[in-house]
Order: sequence, then structure tokens, then C-alpha cells
Amino acid sequence: MWFRSVFLKTLRDYRVAILGWGIGMGLVVVSPMASVAALVTTPQAREQLISIAQTFTWNADAIAVDTIGGYATFKIGTFIFLIAIWPLLAGSRMLRGEEDRGSMDVLLSLPRPRLRVALEKLAAMWTALLVMGVLIGLLAFAGGKKFGADFGLGEGLLFGLNLALICAVFGGLALLISQFTQERGPAAGWTAALLLVFIVLDMVHRVVPNSEWISRLSPVYYYNLSKPLVPGHGVDVGGMVVQLVLAALLSGVALWLFARRDVGGTVALPRWLRLPERQPSRALPVGDWSLRSVYARSLGTIAMPTLWWTLLIAGWAGWVVYVVQLMETKLSSLLSGSPAMINLIKNLGGGDVNVNEGFLSAMFIFLPLFLMAFSVTQVNLWSADEQDGRLDLVLAAHQRRLGVLLGRFAALATATVVITVITLLVSFASAAAAGLSLDGGNLAAATLGMIPLGLLIAAFGYLASGWLRTAADTGLLSFVLAAWFFISFIGPELKLPDATLRLSAFYYYGTPLLHGLSLTSVLGVIAVAAVALCLGTLRFIRKDIAV
Amino acid sequence: MAAIIEVEGLTKTYGGKRGIANVSFSVEEGEVFGFLGPNGAGKTTTIRLLMALLHADAGAARIAGLDCWKQSLEIKRLVGYLPGEPALDPNLTGGQILEYFANLRGGVDQSYLKQLIQRFDLDTSRKFRQYSTGNKRKVVLIQAFMHRPRLLILDEPTSGLDPLNQQEFDHMVKEARDDGRTVFLSSHVLSEVEKTCNRVGIIRAGSIVRIGDVAEVKAIKRYEITITFASAVPAETFRTLEGVADVETLDHGHAVRLAMQGSADAVIKAAARFPVVSLTSYEPSLEDIFLRYYEADGVPAKEAQGVV
Repeated sequence: MWFRSVFLKTLRDYRVAILGWGIGMGLVVVSPMASVAALVTTPQAREQLISIAQTFTWNADAIAVDTIGGYATFKIGTFIFLIAIWPLLAGSRMLRGEEDRGSMDVLLSLPRPRLRVALEKLAAMWTALLVMGVLIGLLAFAGGKKFGADFGLGEGLLFGLNLALICAVFGGLALLISQFTQERGPAAGWTAALLLVFIVLDMVHRVVPNSEWISRLSPVYYYNLSKPLVPGHGVDVGGMVVQLVLAALLSGVALWLFARRDVGGTVALPRWLRLPERQPSRALPVGDWSLRSVYARSLGTIAMPTLWWTLLIAGWAGWVVYVVQLMETKLSSLLSGSPAMINLIKNLGGGDVNVNEGFLSAMFIFLPLFLMAFSVTQVNLWSADEQDGRLDLVLAAHQRRLGVLLGRFAALATATVVITVITLLVSFASAAAAGLSLDGGNLAAATLGMIPLGLLIAAFGYLASGWLRTAADTGLLSFVLAAWFFISFIGPELKLPDATLRLSAFYYYGTPLLHGLSLTSVLGVIAVAAVALCLGTLRFIRKDIAV
Repeated sequence: MAAIIEVEGLTKTYGGKRGIANVSFSVEEGEVFGFLGPNGAGKTTTIRLLMALLHADAGAARIAGLDCWKQSLEIKRLVGYLPGEPALDPNLTGGQILEYFANLRGGVDQSYLKQLIQRFDLDTSRKFRQYSTGNKRKVVLIQAFMHRPRLLILDEPTSGLDPLNQQEFDHMVKEARDDGRTVFLSSHVLSEVEKTCNRVGIIRAGSIVRIGDVAEVKAIKRYEITITFASAVPAETFRTLEGVADVETLDHGHAVRLAMQGSADAVIKAAARFPVVSLTSYEPSLEDIFLRYYEADGVPAKEAQGVV
């Protein structure tokens, strides 16, 4: 059945993603619901929750945040970045990925129009997004039921539909950009950058008065108009229609361009938009530093992703450090008398919330999460290289398997160190610019302390790649990462036993901005990472390559 | 000459699925050995086992007396390898790829490398992803030859090369042989093996079915003779003669097509009793021999058994 058409075959390719991403993102939506009851135990606590949420309207509209649906909607505000990752990757891969693999040539040799092939693939992606939306909606409904929310199944499904629409917009954008790029990677990168820009544009009208016209330039604005989980708010049909039209327009233009360009080629940009091309030299030796060893080559490959992730991680740290000082007075008064908020902040890694550092500490928990996500993407490249046969010639060129694996791991470790050091420097600079006084040692601990966590998940990934293929390895690591975050974020609210909380790597990160790093914890994480790496190495030096 | 490659009872399965079973052969130093077989026969599995990319379930493989798995690093110093489906970083130029592998090998003679690039007329400034199939093959071929290895292990080396570059490749193989180096190449292009190899091994369904000199393999040929007579001649005249495997009557009995195995002496003598208009003989190519090994589900023809 699944091989009867391009549509069904493409849908089949998405089946794991539909389940994984749908359920995973559904859990992300449900996660904040668990903590609402504890936050509104008294009228005073409820008032304080509403008040503090108003302080964070830059993140999302704080509407009915004392309700389960309102709080969940508020909390997942910027999480649209996370949710849009799959459609962004799928959109950039949909046509360009097939062209990269050479399978598009075969597909287009079939007696059917090129546009129809592309349309079937697009329809499969939209169907996948719709099914994911339904799954997320069902989970949101189930979560709401469990925690006593006052929204029904219809609202849950509308919430999922709204998410599917914004995802379709970014999927379409990635698809369009991929018509101009030779590879799928840059298309995904540019779309991610635009996604960030659009998120920031959407934030503008919540921070700067009379600037709604700026936010209207962002698709995210129209997504945020609908808040089906918020009691009495419902959906904004106009906003949803705008998203639908945008998605159709972007995808339509992309398919129109695809139908007219060379397969494997790109749509030519106007001269003034083209980056200057560096003419590669014919002369040998090329003299490129990155060609000197497996380690250097790995560093060269990882350089660009490292730059992007550094911008994200260091940028987040710098932004949070800067913003917290601006809100100092208000935060102090709001946080000091709210036991519920103290609880929430504690769960996030904030510990003592009497000082700005307490709040900052809670925000800093996202840094190791991002760093570990970076590690997951690099482990994905490692297993993909093996699976695609790119290690064969390297291993045939008088290189020890041990050296190849450790060379790659060392490059990842170097990138991790670079990201954390730059994050530390940016945090210092940001604190200085905002006039915020932070404990330098603790700030160093909070940033450099992420390194063992990044290496831990990478070592797990290298170990798992000894048995699993790329997709399974990446899926497993993503699940582990999500599970750790879930345990640390929701676990205390669910009264999970301490033994369970200790299963999460975040537990060992602790609250370094407040209390520094626990040497025992750091050594423990390093020891586990070392064991995983040793086992992974032992497996790699014995395994069949690319089987 | 000592054997540079020794394979004994080599066996590999993929989770219960067949790879190769009990494969044994040896390759003498200085010879060009052709490893023939249809797709999925086990050629690449054997080569990947020699290159220590796979671990054998049973049996032993040695190169220059060194164990292919345990002493793979020492072996790789001696070997130039060309994989069947070369996968390289698509964003590197041909020049960068060659430089990278030269560095991984501890450096190569740059003048020889440039000479190879010139011989194949390779534009090293293009990215690997932009190369045609043939140009990708050139990059990997140069990579295999550039450090003048003692042993070249080449998996379907001319796949995708145009005739001119195939000719250049043949020259390079001959030069390597003249230098006393050994070439082990897999192929299903039999004419290529016929041109360049001293000996041939044929693998089918994971097992070696024959090993012998190229000439020896050709000796088991079943060739054809077509004789045209001035008048009709009964087919029975030839059917029972020594060396005749099959007789087909053509042109209302005025011609016969004979499938031959062995000497044609009896046929010639029998034909001489009739007025002969013409006689043509077809020598089989290795393709024909090869196809015969795989006809009828690959059961070797009766007359070919035991010839090795």
C-alpha cells in the first residue's frame, strides 16, 4: 500500500517523525500544565503568578496564565523554535535532499509531470504536519484532563491545527529557500535564522508600544493570535487563514521554481544578492590547515555549525543576563513573597530566588540543553558518515579506528569548549554592560560546567552508533535529552523519587550560578562520559563498518 | 613468487544473510588478479574483509603475511584501496580530497601526484559533489595510486570511466605490474580482466567457483563453428563426433552450427568429405565463459567441472 504513489511513499518516510515529533512536542506542551496547580494554591500566589507573567510578555502574551491552558500557552511561547525544527528540516530536505542523493533523477524519469511529483511530496509533508497537530492536540487535551483544565477536545485539536499551520509556513519557507541553495544544510540554516528573526519581530509589539505593524511582518504573530487553550479566547480565524495562505504561497512559489529549474541546479539569484565566490585553486598542495589530520578535518567540518550554535547559546546567555538587570526591582518584589514561584524557579535550577542570580540560574538551565542538542546534531553526522561509507577511505588510509573516532570526538570537545568559553565571555560583557554584579567564579562554573554534559550525550551517541543507524541513534539521543529535561523540570512537581531525579544529567549540573559546581558531580559526569566513550571506542574498533 | 594475499576459508554473514562462505584463494606478489562475479556475489564483501572494514565470522585473510584484521594498520601502509561506491565529503574539491588523504598517509610524492592528475585530465578545483560519476572515480583512483602502494585493491575500478580513461587505467595497471607491484581488482567487465589480468577468480553466490590463469579459463571455452556446404548434409554426420556438444541445422540442411568443446579435428575431417563453401569459428570472450558459469542457476556446466 505504501509504495503505490509518491505521496504514500513520502508519508511512509515520515512515519517515525510523525509519531516521535508529535508525541514529543505533545509532551512539551503538557509539561507546564503539571505545575499550574502548585503555582495557584492561594489567591495571593495566583496574583503573583499573573504579575510575574506580565514581566515576561516579551516571551508570550500573558493571558489567563493562572489557568492550565493559559499557562501552557504562555510557557511554550518561544518553544515554537523547537516545534518548527522538524518542518524546517523536512522542507529543506523534501526536494533538495532527493536531489542530493540522486534519487530525484529516477523519480522524475517516471511518466508523470515534475510538478505532480513535487505536489505529492508537499501533500505528504502537510499530511504529516496535520497528523502531528492532531497528536499534539490529543495530548494537550489528555494533559488538560489529567490536571483539571477547562478546555475540551475541540480546543485541543484547534491548538494542534494552529501549530500545524505555522509549521507548514516554515516548511514552505525552507522548501522555497532550498530552491536557491545547492545543499539542504544551508537552506535549513537560513530558515532557522529567519525563524529566529520572525520570533524576535513578533516579540517587538509586546515590548515596544505602538509597534504592532512591525510584528505583523512575522508569521509567528498570526500564530500567536489564536490561543485555543486559553478559556474564552479561542482561535483567530483570520490569523489562521493568513498562515494557510502564506504556507500555500511559499510552497507554491517553491514548486513553481522547481518545475522550471535544472534538477540538481539552483535558481539563479540576482547578481547583487550573490555572495562573492572564491575561486578554488587548481594548484596542489592546497595548503588548507583543515586537511592535515582527521582532527583538523573534523574541526573544519564542525566550524560553521559551531558558529551558529555559539550565536544561539552565547546570545541567549547574554540576552538573559542583560534583561534580568533591567527588571531587577520588579523581580525582587514579585519573587520574594511567592513560595509557588520559588518552587517553579527551583525546579528550573534557580535555587535561592532572593537575588537576580536566582532567576538567572533558572534561565541558565537552557544553556546545557542547547549545548547537548548541538552534540546530538554532531553525533548524527558521525553515524551518517559511517552509514554513507564516508569512513571507508579514511580507515583505509593508514588510520587507526581508535584515532579516527577520538579525532572526531576531540573536535566536538574543542567546539564545546569554544562555545562555552564564548558564552562565558559574552555573559561577562553583558553583565558589565547592564551593570549587573555577578559572582565571576559561579558564572564560569555555570558556563564551563556545561562541557561535561555536552560530552556526556556525545559519548552516549558514539556508543549507541556502534549498533544503531543514524535515524535511530539521533532519535534515541533526542529522547534521552527530552526525558532528562522532563525529569528535572516536571519531576519535582510529580514528586518523583530522588533516585529518578538522579537519572537526569541536569541533576548533576545543579545550580552553578548560585552555588558553584559540585566537584563530585562534575567528576561523576566525566567518569560516565569516559566509560561510555571507552565502550563506544571498543565497539567501533571491532564492528563492521557501514553494514 | 610469494603470495601477497592469502585467504583461507573466509566466511562472512550479515545477520543470517549470506555474504561469503569458505572463500579461499591466494594472489602472488607481482601479478594482476581479477576477481569476477555478478552483482551480489560477494566481491565487495571479500574486499572489505581484506581492508578490515568487516570482521570475518570464520577463516583467515593475510596480506604480506600480516593478519588483515589484527595487523590492519601495517597492511594499510602497503595498500592503495578503491571502494566500489566511493563516498567522500561532497563539499571538498578534488584537490582538497587528494591533499587530505595524502596527509593521512604521511605525505606523498607531489610530482607523481600531479602526473597522475594530468594523466586522468582531472580538474581538481571542482567540488566532489559537482563531479560526474567518471570524474569521481578518477579522484578515488588517483587516491589509490598516489602513494605507489605495493598492493592495489580496486573494487570495480573502471566503472563510469570513459574508454580513453579506461585505457589510461590499463596502462597504469601494466606499469604497476612492471614495477613488481600487485593488483587485485574486482570486476564484472570481463574484457577488462582479459586485457589486464594474469589470473582470474570467479565468485558466485558467496563461493569461489573457479580460479585459474586467464588463458586456462579460456581453455574451457565452448566455441562455435558454422560450416556452410554446397548441398544439404545430414546433421547426424557431426552429432556423435568427439568434441561436438550440440548441432543445429541451418538453411535447410546446407549449413550446420556446432557447439564445440575441445579439439575440432574430428569435425574438420568429417566436413572435408562434403563440398564446403565456408567455415567460421567464434572464439568466446570471457563474458561467454562467465555467463556459462551462471546459467542454470549457476551450476557449472558438466564439462567445466574439475578443469581447474
